[in-house]
Amino acid sequence: SFNAISGLLRNIVGGKVLTDTDLESPLKAMEEHLLKKNVAREAAVRLCEGVRQELTGQKTGNFQSVDSVLRAAMESSLQKILTPTSSLDLLHEIQAITSPATKQQAPRPYVISIVGVNGVGKSTNLSKICFFLLQNNYRVLIAACDTFRSGAVEQLRVHARNLRELSARENVGDVELYEKGYGKDAANVARDAVNYAATNKFDVVLIDTAGRRHNDQRLMSSLEKFAKFANPDKIFMVGEALVGTDSVMQARNFNQAFGPGRNLDGFIISKCDTVGDMVGTLVSMVHATSIPIVFLGVGQHYGDLRGLSVPWAVGLLMK
Amino acid sequence: MVLQDLGRRINAAVSDLTRSNSLDEKAFDDMLKEICAALLSADVNVRLVQSLRKSIKTTVHFSSLPPAVNKKRMIQKAVFDHLVALVNPHAEPFRPKKGRSNVIMMVGLQGAGKTTTCTKLARHYQMRGLRTALVCADTFRAGAFDQLKQNAIKAKIPYYGSLTQTDPVVVAADGVAQFKKERFDVIIVDTSGRHKQEADLFEEMTQIQTAVNPNQTILVLDSTIGQAAEVQSSAFKATADFGAIIITKTDGHAAGGGAISAVAATHTPIIFLGTGEHMMDLERFEPKAFVQKLLGMGDIAGLVEH
Ligand SMILES: Nc1nc2c(ncn2[C@@H]2O[C@H](COP(=O)(O)OP(=O)(O)OP(=O)(O)O)[C@@H](O)[C@H]2O)c(=O)[nH]1
Ligand SMILES: Nc1nc2c(ncn2[C@@H]2O[C@H](COP(=O)(O)OP(=O)(O)OP(=O)(O)O)[C@@H](O)[C@H]2O)c(=O)[nH]1
Ligand SMILES: [Mg+2]
Ligand SMILES: [Mg+2]
Repeated sequence: SFNAISGLLRNIVGGKVLTDTDLESPLKAMEEHLLKKNVAREAAVRLCEGVRQELTGQKTGNFQSVDSVLRAAMESSLQKILTPTSSLDLLHEIQAITSPATKQQAPRPYVISIVGVNGVGKSTNLSKICFFLLQNNYRVLIAACDTFRSGAVEQLRVHARNLRELSARENVGDVELYEKGYGKDAANVARDAVNYAATNKFDVVLIDTAGRRHNDQRLMSSLEKFAKFANPDKIFMVGEALVGTDSVMQARNFNQAFGPGRNLDGFIISKCDTVGDMVGTLVSMVHATSIPIVFLGVGQHYGDLRGLSVPWAVGLLMK
Repeated sequence: MVLQDLGRRINAAVSDLTRSNSLDEKAFDDMLKEICAALLSADVNVRLVQSLRKSIKTTVHFSSLPPAVNKKRMIQKAVFDHLVALVNPHAEPFRPKKGRSNVIMMVGLQGAGKTTTCTKLARHYQMRGLRTALVCADTFRAGAFDQLKQNAIKAKIPYYGSLTQTDPVVVAADGVAQFKKERFDVIIVDTSGRHKQEADLFEEMTQIQTAVNPNQTILVLDSTIGQAAEVQSSAFKATADFGAIIITKTDGHAAGGGAISAVAATHTPIIFLGTGEHMMDLERFEPKAFVQKLLGMGDIAGLVEH
């Protein structure tokens, strides 16, 4: 492990000007440490290179080992990469659209669409977001725009029914499902759902989409039309914590799929409960795109949605 | 396709080395380094890569090679043998026999592709003259039964499931009992996605297994899985002792090294690859042919046979 190998160098303390040679072997150990945490190799190499540049020529403080200098530098690099440059207050943003401050601006439903590769947890995490919005007393329309995968519509029907019961019991919010069955063009269904929501005074529309491989040209290119028709305020991509190196290309290709001038607005990293401390996907996807992480999925139940705690993630990665 | 880029890189590293005039220890080390980097980029388990590197090094034992020996050939063979060993567990996969009930149970992580693969597999056996049926023992995931049912209807495969019974153990047992009575050759049981961190879910898997007593349990693994592959698949192995692996979504771009690491960690053969979302998208897996294709081998194909 990282500590075992770089432990050899722990004795070098105090007032030493660090050279490439001093750093080479501990950095190699650090890279392997990150790989074991499921950070994609490309991201791990870049992080280590950044740290190397930062530290070469730097003088270590008194009683400081190379090991601890490197550790501190990597910790702050991880912190930096994971911390969003602008924070997202989703509820605040929704409020601004559904109840605008000025009379000139007409209220309308806030539209969120969820995209991602097959089986990562799009529909489930959409339902969790719905639960969160219901708790905040919003009227939500779920649009079933996965018109391809068997059972996709019924899956959302069950979630909508469960969530409706929950919200009725607690007397907060309301949810309805908009669906047109299978085989229809997703972009058209999405547009119609948004119009329906506007007419019927829904606050938020949550659009589910079919899973697609990021290297499937045909399915990826249909996302551009989808974005045009649904015109979402936010496009969130779900990526699963289980995924390895593919996370980098998944993030890049989805980020580029919506046409010029339109990017992803955030990632939801699902299945964080299934990887222990191997949470490297968080780093890989942000490394690939600089798009922030907005939510983490931490289980299969409606309450299992969290915001990202950067110290928590960095703690696991450095453990 | 799985591991294609990896094959290209490994191949390039080996041919770079074997083409260079000065075949010295440093060139050999560089090649090993490049191969390891390629394996790591492909999500092969970090510890596995470390041991692979050591093992190739000791097999070849560069410094003590007598001058007469054909070094290039030796190195090539060592690399290929180690890669084949990685995907070839030397265990014969189960094959269902006509005329008796072969119960197959599918297990795996959430969203791996179990339900989709159930119908693909059912169709595969059906086309080979085995009477096949499907049982949906996923009572947890919303719409799971509808999903299996719609696929089964499309593929014209008889199916069993319940919209009211919430205990998957009961549904599994009832479904299997019914199809056994009707003398089906192959009965495939779909189960919910689960992971080792939730002990209750693993306990449930054991209960279903006890109830249906499968002839074969299959682990379904997503080809995009990363470093968690080893821990998760080892935990599934320890609890459900699956005898075969199916790797899904190989039509994607992922190198599949995580899934390959699961094979190495559990000494279990891969039997099929999922190659798309449609019913027909299933391919048989043959380890040797796979590595041959992976490495774009033609002229040196004979090496793998040893
Ligand atoms: N453990 C765990 N499981 C999750 C999480 N999020 C989703 N899942 C499970 O992952 C599986 C797939 O979830 P879905 O929501 O159907 O995934 P999807 O991306 O909509 O799938 P497709 O529409 O088929 O592409 C289900 O079994 C979910 O319960 C999570 O955060 N943790
Ligand atoms: N591209 C591609 N997609 C696949 C393949 N196999 C399955 N899928 C897709 O992966 C997603 C998840 O598949 P499911 O069969 O629902 O997975 P599961 O393991 O049953 O999921 P849970 O029951 O929720 O654990 C679906 O969108 C499938 O269409 C494959 O070989 N290639
Ligand atoms: Mg879905
Ligand atoms: Mg399923």
